[in-house]
Amino acid sequence: MLHIDHITKHYGDYLALDDISLHVRRGTLFGLLGPNGAGKSTLIRIVNHIIAPDSGSLLFDGRPMRQDDVMQIGYLPEERGLYKKMRVGEQCIYLARLKGLSKEDATRKLHQWFERLDIDSWWNRRVEELSKGMQQKVQFVVTVLHEPQLLILDEPFSGFDPVNQDLLKQEILRLKAQGTTVIISTHNMPSAEELCDDIALINQARVVLHGPLADIKAAHAAAPLDRIFIETVT
Amino acid sequence: MNKIFLVIQREYATRVRKVSFWVLTILVPILIAALYSVPIILATRPLEHAHVLVVDDTGIFQHQFRSSRDITYHDAGSLEYAKRQLAEVDSMDAIVYIPARETTIPTDAFLYYRTDAPSMTVQGNVDSQLQEILRNRILLDVHGISADDYQLLTSTRIQLRTKDIETGRDGFLGIKVAVGLILGLLVFIAIISFGSQVMRGVMEEKGSRIVEIIVCSVKPFQLMMGKVVGIGLVGLTQFALWILLSGIAVGALQATHSDLFSQAQPEQITQIATKGSDATAQMEAAMQATPVPELMQGLASIDFGVLLAAFLFYFVFGYLLYATLFAAVGALVDTETDSQQFTLPLTVPLILVVLLLPAMINQPSGSLSVWLSMIPFTSPAAMLLRIPFGVPVWQVVLSALLLLATFPLCIWLAARIYRSGILRYGQKTTWRDILRFF
Repeated sequence: MLHIDHITKHYGDYLALDDISLHVRRGTLFGLLGPNGAGKSTLIRIVNHIIAPDSGSLLFDGRPMRQDDVMQIGYLPEERGLYKKMRVGEQCIYLARLKGLSKEDATRKLHQWFERLDIDSWWNRRVEELSKGMQQKVQFVVTVLHEPQLLILDEPFSGFDPVNQDLLKQEILRLKAQGTTVIISTHNMPSAEELCDDIALINQARVVLHGPLADIKAAHAAAPLDRIFIETVT
Repeated sequence: MNKIFLVIQREYATRVRKVSFWVLTILVPILIAALYSVPIILATRPLEHAHVLVVDDTGIFQHQFRSSRDITYHDAGSLEYAKRQLAEVDSMDAIVYIPARETTIPTDAFLYYRTDAPSMTVQGNVDSQLQEILRNRILLDVHGISADDYQLLTSTRIQLRTKDIETGRDGFLGIKVAVGLILGLLVFIAIISFGSQVMRGVMEEKGSRIVEIIVCSVKPFQLMMGKVVGIGLVGLTQFALWILLSGIAVGALQATHSDLFSQAQPEQITQIATKGSDATAQMEAAMQATPVPELMQGLASIDFGVLLAAFLFYFVFGYLLYATLFAAVGALVDTETDSQQFTLPLTVPLILVVLLLPAMINQPSGSLSVWLSMIPFTSPAAMLLRIPFGVPVWQVVLSALLLLATFPLCIWLAARIYRSGILRYGQKTTWRDILRFF
């Protein structure tokens, strides 16, 4: 689905990504792990064409990735935000239309999602009236609404209570079952262990572990993922 | 392109729906209507007619005070009698008492009143009549000049008019100064206020991090231009509504008080003037009547179509020039206070024009004015100031072309800064950082 090929990125003198190569298989859940400042968010921004790499290339569906392909991506950034003064429904329609949905499609799909997550009553409320967790839910809906082939979720569980974390996991697994490829960047090792098919561990701008979770666990005597993380990074 | 339209739509709709937009939109026409109705209120206010008793011990002022619409003078004979009248008759307001002194020419007079001090109008009228009567008396007694002759002398006024030698049209410089000042300042205020709205909008998107989602769907350039255009359209909507609503309000005032707005015809004035014998009436008529037609003629001498077109052009392109740069500033900073180090140099050219306004008005075609109306960052305000005075066509064209040519350059520059800036969080940007964006 997505090949990341020898990507390097500098910010001034600072090396953010050093020759990163990764492969995300279609229909799998890919865990992008690593300590703070390892370069995960930079890599995600490059995949989203928000910033350009210094060198290296991206293959999407087996061919060189184009700007248009970004429309097939649903991206939930780590630092989330919505227009605070806008009403929930109106704002979601706007963001969905920017992703290419028609107004009618967006409205219909939004109501479906809102009903399933039991948040339809928020439609006419201003975003600033919602709690942080509620805003995250809305944002998740916005991310997946245009039925992207590739979903990139940066710290999707932060800010959610356990009930909603579980709800989110079920939704992610449901989308995966429908054929969506998912990349999750997280510090939440138990969740990663529970959900991911493949993982990559990035440390100090380099890939230090990459492969199917099962293989990696086998190579580390079935240690828990957070143990493997700590041992590899330190 | 469809997406930039979506951005424009959102920027426009969210602002036009705000209460503050409508408050401002309604408030300005109300203000204009209020200014316009001041003369109506003055003219139709209930008259408080004053009665003033005159006690003259000198014999100079007896029967000389002339009553008017607002004040009636009564000769009272003795001060005792006048005091009784003032105390007993409710309608009496004051006593003018001119005591006899050793000198033949009286040097002081008194205005007595009961409880309420006479109004400024009454005091002013009494004072001016005192001076006038005394002067007439001296002129008549010493120089043998009659009161009528004296009035004729003082009421003659020669009007200096500036005229264009080619067209023969009147210059009406005073009105042009006013119109130029208003236009220049208006465009300055509009550019700054709508430009800083763009800046705040960008800061909001950056601060709430929503920009990270949006730039996955639209190019930063589209987002920036969508915002700039959307807010610009809000500005144009506001201007259009101001003109429309002010027109309606003023029109309604004129319709309901048509008698007050009917312009005094010049013939009427001359008729009054030639009647002649009542010199004061003649002078009063001249004083009241002339400013209005002169103002009207002056306003009529200005081509408002040209002014409106010029205003629209310089507002739109001046705004685009500045708003894109304001957007770039918004992308560079996290808080309003940080923004000042960048907005200050940005607004210096406009502030410079405002500071140089007196010098430019003194010489609307001087080299300072011409230069400032050519430089793209100062031309919107500077050229609008000059337009009412008449500007050679080549200068207007050159100024417009320079502005148009600078505009893509500014957008390019702003887009570069904007693109790099919107995704920088929590770091202070310095001028050196900006250079690195290129």
